[in-house]
Amino acid sequence: MKHLVKKATTAALVASMLCTTAMTAVQAETLRFISWQTDDGGMGDWWRDAIATFEAAHEGVKIEFTKVERASYADSMTTLFAGGQPPHIVHLASFEYQTFAENGWMENLDPWLKKDGIDMTGWAGQDTCRWNDETACIMLLYFGFMMAYNPDILAEAGVEVPTNYEEFLAAARATTKDLNGDGITDQFGTGHETSGGAGQYLTELLNYVLSAGAYWTNKEGKVTIDTPEMIEGLTRYKTIIKEGLSPVDMSAGDVRKLFADGKIAMRLDGPWLYGTMKKGAAADRLKIAFPALTPPVGGSSNVLGMASEISDEQKQLVWDFIKVVMSPDFQRKYATVAGNTPPSPKADVSGVEESVPHFPLLIKTQKAAAAAGVDRIPTGLEIQYGEFGKMVQEEVQRMLIQDLDPADVVKTIQAKAEAIQAG
Amino acid sequence: MAKKLGLDLARPSQQHLLGYILLAPAVLLVAAIIIYPLIISVDLSLQNVKMPRIGAARKPVTLGNYEKLFTSPEFWMACWVTLKLVVTVTLGSLIAGISTALLVNNKFRGRKIARVAMALPWAVPEVIAVVIFAWIFDSSFGFMSWLFIKLGLTDQMIKWISTPGAAFWALSITMIWKGFPFVSIMTLAGLQSIPADFYAAAKVDGASAVQRFRWITLPLLMPILGVTLVLVTLWVFRDFSIIKVLTGGGPLKSTQTLSIMTYDQAFGFFKFGYASAVGVITLIICVIASMLMLGRSPKTL
Repeated sequence: MKHLVKKATTAALVASMLCTTAMTAVQAETLRFISWQTDDGGMGDWWRDAIATFEAAHEGVKIEFTKVERASYADSMTTLFAGGQPPHIVHLASFEYQTFAENGWMENLDPWLKKDGIDMTGWAGQDTCRWNDETACIMLLYFGFMMAYNPDILAEAGVEVPTNYEEFLAAARATTKDLNGDGITDQFGTGHETSGGAGQYLTELLNYVLSAGAYWTNKEGKVTIDTPEMIEGLTRYKTIIKEGLSPVDMSAGDVRKLFADGKIAMRLDGPWLYGTMKKGAAADRLKIAFPALTPPVGGSSNVLGMASEISDEQKQLVWDFIKVVMSPDFQRKYATVAGNTPPSPKADVSGVEESVPHFPLLIKTQKAAAAAGVDRIPTGLEIQYGEFGKMVQEEVQRMLIQDLDPADVVKTIQAKAEAIQAG
Repeated sequence: MAKKLGLDLARPSQQHLLGYILLAPAVLLVAAIIIYPLIISVDLSLQNVKMPRIGAARKPVTLGNYEKLFTSPEFWMACWVTLKLVVTVTLGSLIAGISTALLVNNKFRGRKIARVAMALPWAVPEVIAVVIFAWIFDSSFGFMSWLFIKLGLTDQMIKWISTPGAAFWALSITMIWKGFPFVSIMTLAGLQSIPADFYAAAKVDGASAVQRFRWITLPLLMPILGVTLVLVTLWVFRDFSIIKVLTGGGPLKSTQTLSIMTYDQAFGFFKFGYASAVGVITLIICVIASMLMLGRSPKTL
C-alpha cells in the first residue's frame, strides 16, 4: 500500500510537472524587438512604457528589447533578414524600410488595419509607408526642424535671432570667432555634420536646398536638380562651409554636443536636439525658435512594422503591440514622455507645453514642413536612396575641395542621379 | 567499427587512413567556416542579387557583375588606393618595427618599460585607436593642427579628413602606429635567436655596425621578415575598421580600398552580387600577392 501511494504521488508530481511545462510552452512567447532608441532619454522611456503595457495585457509574453547602434543598424537588420532571423517587431528608419518591403520581408498591414477598423486618415507621414500599393509600416514620427540658438553669443555679437537666410548668414559670420587669438576658431556661427554617412549629410544640406526653393525630385519622381534654385541652394551651403562658419569633419552628435556646451551660436536640427541641449554646459541658456531657413527640413523619421515570415500567432501579438503604440494614450505620451510630435490626429496634446515648453513650436514646424510637402526621401529614388545620397555627398565634397562652380556641380549631380534612377 | 568497414588500420598499407580519419574533424570544420562562405560568395558574385536570402531560389548565372566591375573607374581607383596603402603602411610598419626592435634589443636602463611601450599600440583595440587618432587629426580642434600652428608650419587648421591627400596620410599614420608593434615583436624574436658569436667574429674582422646589420642581422632576419611582410600586407589589404571609422573611404574615394568598396556596395547600396564580385577579386589578389611573397622568401634566405 505504502509503495502504491509512493508510486501514485510520484506519478501525480510528474504529471503536474508535464502539464505545467506544456502550458508554459503554449503561453511563453518572446518577441524580438531591435531598436537604436533604447537608451535615448525620452524615446527609450516611451518604448519601455509601451512594452510594459503590452506585457501586462499579454500574460506570459515578453518583448526582448535590444539595442543596435544607429551607425550599424541597417547592416544588422540586413544580416538578420538575410539569415532568416528577422526581429518580430521591425523598427526601421523611413528611408531604409523600402528595400526590406521590396523584398517582401515586411507584412502588409492593410488586412490588420481593416480587421480592427482603424482609419489612418490624417496620420502624419503615413503615405511614406505605402509601398507597392500596400501599407508596409506605421509612421512613428513626422517632424519639422527647429532652430536652437545661444542668446548670449548672439547678443555679444550684436545680432538678432535670424528669420531668413541672409540674416542667418550675417549672424553666423558675426558669431564665428577665434576667442583667444591662437589662430584656431573656438566659436562657430552654426554647425553641420560634414563627415559620416550620406543620410545625415544630405539632411543637413537640405536646409539650404529647401530654403532656396529646390529639391531633388518632383512629385512624379523626375529628377529636378539642374535648376537655378538648386544652384542657389548649393551656393548657400558652400558659403557656410568655405567661410569656416561651421566646424568641419564632425559627426552630428559632436556638433550637437558643441552647441549644447555653448561653442556654436545656432543649430538647425530635429526635436531630438532638445535632449542633448539639456545635458550641455550651456543648458540653461539655450533657446529654441522657428528656423531661419524655410520651409523647415522635416518629414518622416522612423517606422514600425512586422516581419512577414513569422507565425500567425506571433503576427497577432506584434499587431497588438503596434496597436498599443498607436493608441491615443501612447500617442499623447509620445509628446509628454518622448518630447516628439505624435503623428496620430487623435492624439490629445493639450497641456503638453507644461512639460515640454517648446512643444507648440514643434507642432508649428511640423505643420510648416507638411504644408510644403517636405520629406527627406525623394520620390522616385526611395530604393536607391543610399547610392543617391553617397553620390550627392561626394559631388558636394568635390565642389568644396576643388572650389567648383555650383552651376557645373548641379549638372553632374543631375546626370548621375538620372543614371542611378535608371538602374 | 573499422573492421566492419573492412579497414584494418594496423596494416601498413592502410595506416595512412588513420591520419585522414584523425584530420577529418578539423578539415570539416575548416570547410564549414571558410570554404562554405567562400562558395556562397563566389555563387552570389555570379548572380544579379540585390539582397540575398539563405534558402532563396538561385538567379540565372551571369558574368554581369564582373563585366561591370572591370569597366568601373571606381573599382580601378579602389585597386590603386589599396596598392598605395599596402605599400605605404607595410613599408612604414617595417621601418618603424625593425628600428624599435633593434633599439629595445640593446641593453639599457628601462628596457623592460620600453618593450612594453613598444607593444602597447598592438594591444589597443582598433576602434579605440582610431577614435584617439580621429581626435588627433580633428580638423577643428585637433592636436596635430594645433602642433603645426605652434611650430609655425601653417597659419590655419588643416582639414586632415576632408582633403584627399591629407586624409590618406592621416590614415597611413594611424595604420602604421597600429601595425608596427607586430613587426617589432616578430623582429625582436628573430634578433634574439641570432648567436652573439656572429657579431663577435664580425667585430674581430673589423666590421662596422652598418656592415654587421647588412651582412648578419638582415639575412638572418629574412625568414621572419618574409612571413611578417605577408601578414602585414594581408592585414592592410583586408583592414576595414580603421578606414571605416576614420575616413569612411572619403573624401572623394581617396581612401576607399577594396574592403570599403565591398562593404558600401553590399550594405550601403544593397548590391550583394556586385559586392561579392569585388570580394572575390580581392581574395584572388591577396592569394597571388601571398604566393609571390612566400615564393620569393626562400630565395632571399
